[in-house]
Amino acid sequence: MVVQNSKSNILIVEDEKGLRLGTQRLLEEEGYAVSAAENGNEGIKLGTSKEFDIAVIDLRMPDIDGLEVLKEIKNVYPNTVCFIATAFASYETAIQATRIGAYGYIPKPFTPEEFIYQIEQGIKQRELILSAERLKKEREENLFELASEKSRLNAIIKSINEGVLVLNKNGELAYYNYAALKYLNIREINIGENVIDKLPSKIVAVVKTIFSNDTFLLKTYTVQIEIKPNNELILEAACTPVPHPDGSLAGVVVTLGNITEFKKIEVIKSQFVSMVAHEMKTPLAAVQGFLNIIVDDTINVEKEKRKDYLKRSIVRLKSLTDLVNDLLDISRMELRTKHREIENIKVKDILSNVLQMLELEIKKKNITVQKNIEEKLPAIQADQNDITRIISNLLSNAIKYNKENGSIGIKLGSSPNYLILQISDTGIGMKPEERSKLFSEFYRIKNDRTRGISGTGLGLSIVKRIVESYHGKIEVDSQFEVGTTFTINLPINLN
Amino acid sequence: MALIAIIDDDIDILDASSLVLKSKGHDIVTATNTTDGYKIVKERKPNLIILDVMMEEPDDGFYLAQKFRKDGIKIPILMYTSVSKAIGMEFDKSEIVPVDDFVEKPISPEELVEKVENLLHLKEVK
Repeated sequence: MVVQNSKSNILIVEDEKGLRLGTQRLLEEEGYAVSAAENGNEGIKLGTSKEFDIAVIDLRMPDIDGLEVLKEIKNVYPNTVCFIATAFASYETAIQATRIGAYGYIPKPFTPEEFIYQIEQGIKQRELILSAERLKKEREENLFELASEKSRLNAIIKSINEGVLVLNKNGELAYYNYAALKYLNIREINIGENVIDKLPSKIVAVVKTIFSNDTFLLKTYTVQIEIKPNNELILEAACTPVPHPDGSLAGVVVTLGNITEFKKIEVIKSQFVSMVAHEMKTPLAAVQGFLNIIVDDTINVEKEKRKDYLKRSIVRLKSLTDLVNDLLDISRMELRTKHREIENIKVKDILSNVLQMLELEIKKKNITVQKNIEEKLPAIQADQNDITRIISNLLSNAIKYNKENGSIGIKLGSSPNYLILQISDTGIGMKPEERSKLFSEFYRIKNDRTRGISGTGLGLSIVKRIVESYHGKIEVDSQFEVGTTFTINLPINLN
Repeated sequence: MALIAIIDDDIDILDASSLVLKSKGHDIVTATNTTDGYKIVKERKPNLIILDVMMEEPDDGFYLAQKFRKDGIKIPILMYTSVSKAIGMEFDKSEIVPVDDFVEKPISPEELVEKVENLLHLKEVK
């Protein structure tokens, strides 16, 4: 299009002045842009300085041969259409000129019509060359794009964490990535190889099912495979049919995902549910046992006993309510749906409130409370309910597991960044192996010393969760049959 | 009428079960842990043992039942279970669980009485 829309550039290399000026004028009248050189050297200079559409070169010039000029121009601009003009036309020079790259041969003398005709032919040739050039360039660009798209896709699939295998209908490998080899523990595999024997039987079964059906649905079939025993590596293989463009079955793509962690969480979850079920069923069984007796007419229950059983049922139901409340607290903490109202609070005041709340229990066991509270304690930023929960859980443990006439020590102090609360009791204490399990859900030390002490087994687990949610620290120190001390560090400024 | 030993760490379950069986004229001895349980069986030689599966440890009941059998105590054992089956501790009458029958908590008085009478009667027949 460049040629048609703008003036074509024509170079005339001609030593004979009259002819040079005559052709120049003729071409200019026809609307061409013309440059002229009066000898061979000048012709080379002009012809290689910019790309001309057409060059008309005299064969015989005093300085250098026209063929030499042609060669030099063609060397730099192979797409310039060149004519050789000569009065000494010979078959040999014509062949030679064409071989070097001349498009045509203009014999002298020529009429203006003959000359213009030749130039027009040359312009057409030039257009053809240029459009062929453009097409070639476009095609090369497309090819390059295609190639880079393919390699990009390849790079993506090779680097993803999911394993990918593509099999054709014969079970031969069409594509794979390294994650697939790693997950399936395959050392060597080749494209085109039949890999059915190298795949886990569960995948093979699914792949064969897909292949054996005449019709297939574009749906994914998944199987879970234990690759390494003891739940060390569990994969989920998703097998999806791959159709040809005509809709027939081409093969199957298998993606492999590592679901080991999900499986572990699943196990923990079901263990937790079992523990909850057991903890809930125990008080329910006791209450139901009592009620069954009371409503049974064949069993004679004295009036006083009946009241005792009902009272004990209430106690068991209360423990069940406590358990449900603790579970809800834990669930809220895990889901982070618990709304917190962070304000500046004085732990000292909360401590007094909790002590007042537990006063009755403290008196029942005749426990002495020794307080050691630092003066001018900084306020901390926290939710009042959280801190109340921490202190009441720790203090009620210190009462429950204490001995009659024992004592509880409460120390409240501070370091530059932390508020430090220490609660110690003179209770039953713990053995080291018991201490390590202390913060686990539902862990309660069961032995002669703890029989008759009720609890949900969630209290300390909740304390730990709260403390950690404030980026604090909880430590426990205990001596068997002597007592236990809990130390809590809470950051003064949350930020 | 018979002497029955009940071994369970839940005092409320002990009391309720005792009352049900006492109302049928049986004599009852109880224990709340494996050590005491073994002792009362050795000393009192009951006609039947009722044993809870989960006490201090989740398998205390199994352990104690095995100990009785190993020591030649052939008294029939009725085992109380709660959620053991649900949490995957599949068991049945076997050498590992050498007991004669199971009662699932919560306990219905009729079922308990029926199973107890059944075990006591079987023993008489033998």
